[in-house]
Amino acid sequence: MSLALRQTGALSRRALIRTMRVPQAWVPSLFFPLMLMAIFSGSFAQAPDRIPGFPEVAGFLDFIIAGTILQAVLIAGTSGGAAFASDIEGGFFDRLVSSPASRLALVGGRITANIVIGVAFAAFFILVATIFGARISAGVPGLLLVLVFTVFLAAAAGGLGVTLALRSGSAEAAQGAFPLFFALMFFSSAFFPRETMDGWFKTVADINPVSYVVEGMRVPIAGTGDAWDALLGLAIVIGLAAIALLATLRSLDRRLKGDL
Amino acid sequence: MNHAAVEARGLVREFKGGVRAVDGVSLSVPAGQIYGFLGPNGAGKSTIVRILTTLLAPTAGTATVGGYDVMREPESVRRKIGVALQDAAIDPFMTGRELLQLQGVLHGLSRRETRARGSRLLERVDLVGAADRRVGTYSGGMRRRLDLALALIHEPQVLFLDEPTTGLDPISRHTLWDEVRQLNTESGATVFLTTQYLEEADELAGRVAIIAEGRIVADGTPDDLKAEIGLPTLSVTVAREQLDAARGAMARFATPVPSGDSSVAIQLPEGAAGVAGVVRALDDIGVVATGLDLSEPSLDDVFMAKTGKRMEADEVTTS
Amino acid sequence: MPSVFIPSLVMPLFILVATAGAFRGIGGLPAFEGSSYLAFTIPMATVMGGGFSGINAGMTLARDMEGGFVDRLVASPSPRVALVLGPALAAMSRSAFTTTVIFIAGLIGGVALPGLAGTLIVYAVAAAFSVATACWAMGVALLTGTVQATPLMQVAVFVSIFFSVAYAPREAQDGWLRSISDVNPVTYLLEASRDAELTGVSLSSLGPAVLAAAGLIAALGAFAMLGLRRLGA
Repeated sequence: MSLALRQTGALSRRALIRTMRVPQAWVPSLFFPLMLMAIFSGSFAQAPDRIPGFPEVAGFLDFIIAGTILQAVLIAGTSGGAAFASDIEGGFFDRLVSSPASRLALVGGRITANIVIGVAFAAFFILVATIFGARISAGVPGLLLVLVFTVFLAAAAGGLGVTLALRSGSAEAAQGAFPLFFALMFFSSAFFPRETMDGWFKTVADINPVSYVVEGMRVPIAGTGDAWDALLGLAIVIGLAAIALLATLRSLDRRLKGDL
Repeated sequence: MNHAAVEARGLVREFKGGVRAVDGVSLSVPAGQIYGFLGPNGAGKSTIVRILTTLLAPTAGTATVGGYDVMREPESVRRKIGVALQDAAIDPFMTGRELLQLQGVLHGLSRRETRARGSRLLERVDLVGAADRRVGTYSGGMRRRLDLALALIHEPQVLFLDEPTTGLDPISRHTLWDEVRQLNTESGATVFLTTQYLEEADELAGRVAIIAEGRIVADGTPDDLKAEIGLPTLSVTVAREQLDAARGAMARFATPVPSGDSSVAIQLPEGAAGVAGVVRALDDIGVVATGLDLSEPSLDDVFMAKTGKRMEADEVTTS
Repeated sequence: MPSVFIPSLVMPLFILVATAGAFRGIGGLPAFEGSSYLAFTIPMATVMGGGFSGINAGMTLARDMEGGFVDRLVASPSPRVALVLGPALAAMSRSAFTTTVIFIAGLIGGVALPGLAGTLIVYAVAAAFSVATACWAMGVALLTGTVQATPLMQVAVFVSIFFSVAYAPREAQDGWLRSISDVNPVTYLLEASRDAELTGVSLSSLGPAVLAAAGLIAALGAFAMLGLRRLGA
């Protein structure tokens, strides 16, 4: 058991090193959301006070932090999947499979790395936002809760990325997750409150589980809901992570059996 | 009690569309042998290696490596094998040393052990200078040598080398051969080697299996296989007047076989080793040899005899 | 080449739908003067489409360079300018197609065409931007010679759009963003297109837009020429 942990640790260290050494793997995940956070808060600064239906927040920046973290985690999940796929393409995955590495460690390494990256980026965004005047209304416990959300979100995104990589064995196909993630993000309340939406778009946002996860994350930061909203969001993100990880294990099994 | 290092019985591997890459392969490799799998591209060599290294499940048949069944006890198999597949499977963004460290952890070695063995291996494969450079900067030969080091870090009982010198220049090739021979002698590790190069099988393997279209068509030591086809033939060209004398002298070694008008030919089972004796005999009676030709059947001739096709002709380019 | 074309069509459409849907509530701000956010977003989507068309021109050129096709053209007697002029014109026609699709989507969403002059201005702004971005992307391609430079082409275009008036009018923007958008030529392109879309046509915004377009195309065209001159050097 402890050997499996050692192996997972070594493989996640390796995944992190690889990510850091390939700028395309982490720079978009860090700067794109940061840029949008700046643009959105610069464009919609008046919204909280003037738009009817907009929940009570100290500022738009407080509102947007959760969506920004979501973006970064999803982009990182895609890059992680692409990196995993290139391991398969290049034969490195074969080396790992034919070694005594535990089967869980084979995927656990990359997913753990994704979680570390997600939490690091989340902390960074919160720091930047705080410098520009945002405040976490629930204080340090609130910050910890946000990071817990991030862990499960990163596990879900990472798991999905690795699943696509295992199923397709191609880095290009694994990158194909990005448009899907993009759609999930935008057709939700990640960037603007559901209360201000209308028509079919609102319906989609209402059934999109991501809306509830982001709204749950927003509670400790901006105080836009109560403990039940936070709990609901947490339950859903844990569920998403569980589904993603199950899919990962199933795809791993199929690939190892040669069914793919 | 199973003493064979690698054993396979009736291995079959079918792919989608009914393609049988492996069509009933059985073999047995005793511990400590260098066993060569020779065949053209697409013959099924790599598929068999993948089955034996637990990367692929056979459609039918069984195989054991190091005494463990590849399907039922794969984890035990993995602990005993070292694997260096085609196209050196490495991560271009890591350094050689980092990859060795990783491999050590995966095999359950302590950091200290890994570091010590890693340094020794890097010296052995002459990669000490490049150890801290990213593998993406290595040449093809360097990557193969690192691949070998990675396969050896846990001192495996059975080493699988899938086309280890394809695409390498002659010097790198010979260096690798020396390395494999030395390893086999020193540690007694069994080496299961696949190749498309006759010379490689001839030079390295104690026993060769020739494979074509998923089936083994010949199996034996290189010399035995070639002897099946024919013995080495020594043809000596002499001046017309000396032909009879030459024939007489050489007939004492073996019955002359048909040859050209100005030459005498006999079969020499011992091959090149026997040439000196014949030349001395001719010299003793004053016969001057104006030409000497020793021709040996090659493994390609063996392949031709068994399959009706030439192996070398099918090779297009090396990678 | 469909595989390159489809994303450049789908993305602006997606951005239109996602942006107009998610930020719809913003239309309630006084700065919007009651106009629908969908109508407000249409110009941004067409300009974004123009940007994608321009990036495609650069990507295609980079790919041709890697494939050796460009070397052959350079060795031939045809003038080098054709190497850049052709794709720039192609980018314009692609952007016209995208703009049309955006307008249709707008119609489906309940936004009528803004009259003849207004519609033409929206097309013209998107086309001008597509030519400018094509020059930028092709210049990058010529100077780097590799498809790996695509992210550079993309980032510059996105940054130029985001740091203008992509999501809200200048009056609603926070101070710091306002300072940036004030000096960004793309702002004036977008504002002209928006005035045309929302009010038919507004001469006061046309002037700055023409100047901005001319400036961008001149500067980026020179950049592309620089790349041409370096070719085969």
